[in-house]
Amino acid sequence: MGAESDPFFQAMKLGAEEEAAAQGVTLIWQGDPSNYSPETQIPIVDAVLAQQPTGLVLIPTDPKALQASVAKAVAAGIVVANVDTRVEDLTDVLTFITGDNEDGGAKAAEALAKKIGYTDGKTYEVVIGLTSATATTNVARLEGFKAAVASTYPGIQIKDVAYSESNPEKAATNVNNWLTKYPNLAGIFAIDGTNASGAAAALEAKGLVGKVGLVGYDAYPDNVAKIKAGIFTALIAQDPAAEARLAIKTLVEFIKTGKTSTAKEVVIPNVALTAETSEADLAKYTYVAGK
Amino acid sequence: MTDSNQTAAKSKVQNPLVARLTSLGSNQSAVLVGVLVLLTIVFSILEPKFLSVATANNILTDWGSVVLIAVGQTFVVISGGIDLSVGAIIGLSGVVAAWTMSEIMGADQSVKGADSYGILAVGAIVSVAVGLFVGLVNAFLINKFKIVPFIATLATMGACLGFSVILSNGMPIGSANDFALISAMAPKTNPFSWAVIAVSVVVAVVGLFLHKSRFGLYTYAIGSNTFAARGAGINVERHITKVYALSGALAGLAGIYVYIRLGAGSPSSGNGRELDAIAAVVIGGASLMGGVGRIMGTVLGALILFTVQSGLIMIGVAPDWKKVVVAVLIAAAVAAQTLQNKNGRK
Repeated sequence: MGAESDPFFQAMKLGAEEEAAAQGVTLIWQGDPSNYSPETQIPIVDAVLAQQPTGLVLIPTDPKALQASVAKAVAAGIVVANVDTRVEDLTDVLTFITGDNEDGGAKAAEALAKKIGYTDGKTYEVVIGLTSATATTNVARLEGFKAAVASTYPGIQIKDVAYSESNPEKAATNVNNWLTKYPNLAGIFAIDGTNASGAAAALEAKGLVGKVGLVGYDAYPDNVAKIKAGIFTALIAQDPAAEARLAIKTLVEFIKTGKTSTAKEVVIPNVALTAETSEADLAKYTYVAGK
Repeated sequence: MTDSNQTAAKSKVQNPLVARLTSLGSNQSAVLVGVLVLLTIVFSILEPKFLSVATANNILTDWGSVVLIAVGQTFVVISGGIDLSVGAIIGLSGVVAAWTMSEIMGADQSVKGADSYGILAVGAIVSVAVGLFVGLVNAFLINKFKIVPFIATLATMGACLGFSVILSNGMPIGSANDFALISAMAPKTNPFSWAVIAVSVVVAVVGLFLHKSRFGLYTYAIGSNTFAARGAGINVERHITKVYALSGALAGLAGIYVYIRLGAGSPSSGNGRELDAIAAVVIGGASLMGGVGRIMGTVLGALILFTVQSGLIMIGVAPDWKKVVVAVLIAAAVAAQTLQNKNGRK
């Protein structure tokens, strides 16, 4: 797995534990506490392989660097699945299950267009808060958003983007300045959990809740509560627990029967959580803190 | 505005003369105010909306958290040290305060307005206590184990980041809040919020403490020459402990300020702020070699830093270029003061 402190992986861990218990198999969950890098992951994978598991669910932190670890596992007769991210060559991998960030970006554009009452021929000013220029999930979401705007909502003008450097206060600063510069701002796409927190706080402080559309990302409990309060038009959520559940189910099925009904590559779509989403679904997608 | 502009322009041409004239007041501060005025004029020409109460409020709100840690950092830098843990303390103290308010006092994000004041007061005490504790740990590592401040505070920075993620699972913890505290009191006429006024009072008190008390005198003495200070009978270890404790406590205060601003305690809410604080201190004219520095310089340094950051967004500089521009401006501000000092001494 990736960085243990990331809520995304905490939620994934919970899904994995649930499914392992349901299938009656033993789960060994290992990962570096804070670093998302092959340097820290490879020794951890080696240590896990030394314990001779029957199957391995791997979240490669690098598509090339972890290829050798997959080969090593397969040579030892261990069945391998990839979740979230993949190794370059999937030949030896039973299945690759991932979320779709581009689709999430498109869903964000859709939710924002609905909120601002998009009509063809009119123009709308929108800004986007990112964490950095290089975060791959940010880039994929931005691409998805831009593609949806170009194809379906050409009246939406992306006026500016800015980086929060993972700091919600800096995200709030960006939004404050945008609100001053663009008095007619129609909407904000806050591309991850940090930007979502900062943008929500800025709208609350300026008394613009509900007046400016805000679509955030990542279902942190604190942000999910802000959907009900009308602060978020929508929150785009990934489903890391579902990814882990399907991976473990597939491995167990293959080990027991020698085949599996799961496709070679599975994309679990992102969902848009809104005020209309049922309580049960909100609870299902909210990232839960692991113990 | 135009008058100040001319003064700023003149000060470049007739540097030695103006320097001699203004040295009656505070030389350094005059230069920094000049820079601030110049920046405001340039940004306002490029984007007329920059010259507004709303922009002033944006800048002052940003200034509020960083000036607190920058003022603490000023004491540390004057004493010849450095405190890298202040950014991480903002995150940790905000998370611990939020955790206390939500888990122990049972207040969720629906608790607002006057109902939140008592709970927030408890949160503030917890937040400052956390900062004070980390400051004491810094002093302990520096005094007892003779670890250089750079490494000692780097270690506590890592520990604070780790603990805040452990406590929060990496997610923001929401609890009681009142955004009216942090937004402009009268958005069209007055850019000062209650929180910014409170921060200004704290800064003024701490500033007087540095420039008018024996405590301040000792800080300068230790930073200028530790051996001489020891020889003069100053208990250096005890004084260093107080300096880092003050820096930690102010970072804890910044922690609750950021909490109020965000309505949540977030583990990453102090990310990179130690560098903003050091930049403000250095722009303000303090020397990282110790013994030199003024609170007014730091206050203006932080103001310049956020005027630039706000201005760059307002005039629409591409995000990748913002860092470059900020870096160049910091270097220019420091270089300008070095030249000013040289001319002043002639």
